[in-house]
Amino acid sequence: MGKVAREIVELSGIDVKALLELLVRNAAAEFTTFYYYTILRVNLIGLEGEGLKAITEDARIEDRNHFEALVPRIYELGGELPRNMKDFHDLSACPEAYLPENPKDIQAMLKVLVAAERCAIRGYNAICNMTFGKDHRTYELALAILNEEIQHEAWFSEFIGEGPSGHFQRQGGENSPFASKYL
Amino acid sequence: MYRTFTKEELAEFNGKNGKKAYVAYKGKVYDVTGSFHWKDGKHWVVHEAGKDLTMEMKDAPHFDDLLEPFEVVGILKND
Repeated sequence: MGKVAREIVELSGIDVKALLELLVRNAAAEFTTFYYYTILRVNLIGLEGEGLKAITEDARIEDRNHFEALVPRIYELGGELPRNMKDFHDLSACPEAYLPENPKDIQAMLKVLVAAERCAIRGYNAICNMTFGKDHRTYELALAILNEEIQHEAWFSEFIGEGPSGHFQRQGGENSPFASKYL
Repeated sequence: MYRTFTKEELAEFNGKNGKKAYVAYKGKVYDVTGSFHWKDGKHWVVHEAGKDLTMEMKDAPHFDDLLEPFEVVGILKND
C-alpha cells in the first residue's frame, strides 16, 4: 500500500473502502469478460460471425488490459484481490457474458456483447463520478478505461441497428489507445 | 390493491440474509430480488435496498427505465 497515496484519497472525502470494492468488482468484471469473450470470439464463425470476430478480439484484449491497469491502483490504495479465483469471479460488477445457447444466433451474441459493454460503461462512469476532483489518479485511470468501453459499445451497437456510431475499428493492430499508459 | 409501506417497513426488505430486496422510487416500491445488480441488497457498492432511492437516482449513470422490468409491490407512504 502507498501510505500517502491512500491518505490523500481519504482526506479528499472519498469512502476508500467503497471505492476499493468498486475497483475490485470492476477488475473482476474485466477478467471474467476476457474469459467469456474468448469463448464468444471462437464461436463467431461463418458469414455473419466473421464480421464480428475482429472487434470482439479487440474488446477481449482491451478488457484484459483494463484488468491489468486496475490492479496496481487497488494495491496502492490498500486493497487486494481475493485469494480464491472463484470468489473473484463471483464479485464481478457485471453479469457473465455467457455464450448463447445457439452460438449461430448472431443477434443473441450481440445482445450479450452490448450488455457487457453497457454495464462496464456505467461502472466506470460511477467511479469517475465518485473520484472527480478528488482522487485524480483513479479518476484518470477510470476515464481512460471508460473511453475504451464506450468505443466497444459503439462497435457492437452498429450491428444491432442503432445507426452509425462515429467510431472505427482499431488501426495498425494497436490496442488500448487510452489505457495503455497504465500497463 | 398495492400494499402501503412506511420507511421503517421498507427497511426490512434490505436483501440481506435471504430477505427480499425492495427499493422505492418516486413513491412506488419495486421488488429487485434476484437481480444481478442487487445481489445481497447492494447496488454498485454504495446503494442499498430497503430505502427510497429517488434522490440517489438523480446521480445514477442510467435512466429510471431500468426499473420497468421489476414488479411494483407497493406504495411508499409519505412522512
